[in-house]
Amino acid sequence: MGKAIRNPRPDAGGTGAGGPGAPGDTAVRPRPAPDRDSAYWWEAVRDRRFLVQYCADCRSPRFPPREVCAVCLSLEWHWHQGTGTGTVDGWTVTRRTFHPAFPAPYTVLRVALDDAPALYCWGGLAGADPADLRRGLPVEAEFTELPPENGRPPGEDGPDVVVDWRPLG
Amino acid sequence: MAGTGLSGAASLAGVGRTPFSRDSGASTTALACRAVLAALDDAGLGVGDVDGIATHRVGDSSPPWVVGPALGIDDPAWHLDQFGGGGVSHAVVGQAAMAVAAGVAEVVVCYRAVNARSEFRMGGKGRAPAGAFDLQYQAPYGLLAPVQHYAVPARAHMDAYGTAPEHFGAIAVRQRANAAANPRALKRDPFTLDDYLASPWISEPFRLLDCCLETDGACALVVTSAERARDLRRPPVDIAAAAWAGGHSTYSPPAPGGLGDDLTTSSAARLAPRLYAMAGLGPTDVDTAELYDCFTWTVVVQLEDYGFCAKGEGGPFAASEAMDIGGALPVNTHGGFLSEGYVHGINHVVEAVDQLRGDAGPRQVEGAEVALSTGQPGYVLAGTSALLLTAGR
Ligand SMILES: [Zn+2]
Repeated sequence: MGKAIRNPRPDAGGTGAGGPGAPGDTAVRPRPAPDRDSAYWWEAVRDRRFLVQYCADCRSPRFPPREVCAVCLSLEWHWHQGTGTGTVDGWTVTRRTFHPAFPAPYTVLRVALDDAPALYCWGGLAGADPADLRRGLPVEAEFTELPPENGRPPGEDGPDVVVDWRPLG
Repeated sequence: MAGTGLSGAASLAGVGRTPFSRDSGASTTALACRAVLAALDDAGLGVGDVDGIATHRVGDSSPPWVVGPALGIDDPAWHLDQFGGGGVSHAVVGQAAMAVAAGVAEVVVCYRAVNARSEFRMGGKGRAPAGAFDLQYQAPYGLLAPVQHYAVPARAHMDAYGTAPEHFGAIAVRQRANAAANPRALKRDPFTLDDYLASPWISEPFRLLDCCLETDGACALVVTSAERARDLRRPPVDIAAAAWAGGHSTYSPPAPGGLGDDLTTSSAARLAPRLYAMAGLGPTDVDTAELYDCFTWTVVVQLEDYGFCAKGEGGPFAASEAMDIGGALPVNTHGGFLSEGYVHGINHVVEAVDQLRGDAGPRQVEGAEVALSTGQPGYVLAGTSALLLTAGR
């Protein structure tokens, strides 16, 4: 059975481009597809925790999760609570609908995490006008619950919580 | 220096192409065969001479083990079926040159065949390239199509250096003007900067006219030894250098301290010194450059990273007259992927061969002796590749 699209929180302002994915279509928003390295990270996101992996030997942080440390090649690691904050590194405001679950316009950011240099996380823009974006703008993680699919239990079709980013201040 | 053994060892002896269209009505196998036969004919060779066959693809096209037997080539001494997009488009030719230089093969045909408009459109509904593991961190937010992935570094470049929409527009306008002199080009009607600025947004900062053309078509190249190329039908074009770089992607995180830290510098910055050193040439020696233009901005970043201007100055430089045919550095003389068509990289190499042979007609760069032709500069699927080609003597 079909279900209404939940608008994936389009930005303030702007108009939808119409076309495929305009209101009337139904579509399931793609779920994250965890692999064997990232499954625990996505589980933590479901618990509203933003984790960063740290090498147990050289203490280098890494994101996204990997089995091996790229600095010292250690296979031992720990999870730590991350700051959940960062700064805007790049972004795009998509104004044509590519997938019916994502009606245009909407904004996706690449965020440089505050935890350490050279760690990047992606996510949608929350609660702000993309016209105000600039590189270096401070943002914080916001956990967004995706609507259930097809009446199946939450989480059955993959992680149902994702990370968006809200400008601070 | 490592790698100099490749310089000048192999040559491009023939080029072939199908017409470019929005609907070929043919399979990618058929397109590949047509392009390969045309390239062999151009070289004055036949399928019986071929002992190597190579392509790259992303699950969208006919592989060497189909195309080879379809032409009666059932036991090539060397073959390559490389996964990848435009980043490896020039790598395939470079690897063929290595196979020839190593004596593993003598005559290699490289091809790329796509029905990228009528069958396998990029950025279609949720179509993600297989093997891009870290898309799990992007697809859930609607970052799905190549245009979006390139838009992010382009926006960062604008923010960092003041690169402006008018710079992108100047590139699009010039390449369309170049295409007007190219009978193969899919789009030949000139437009103005105002037309560009009025074209609809796709994913900011890119408008429709910043984007390459989804194209059906194929091109092929014959790679053989420099020595044998001199005995064939057409003037040889020598592979003065081939180079590769990797480790920089907008799909996946950078290595610690890696180039991917900075979105505004592409992997071409790592590749370019190797490429020039192998050839014993520098940016000022380049007479014409075919720079990978899946989107306008990739021209800007490559002008910087291949050493034609300083970092941050690519926008104003791209908008200057230097890049016109007749200027100091004519770029994308055939109209590029924006206006000729997008055969996933290889049609840049074919244009470079046309220019170095003096075959480019009304768009000919006078006295062109050295051409740079580049692959996707290392965003998205990591890795880039490029060729420096010289007119054979
Ligand atoms: Zn370590």
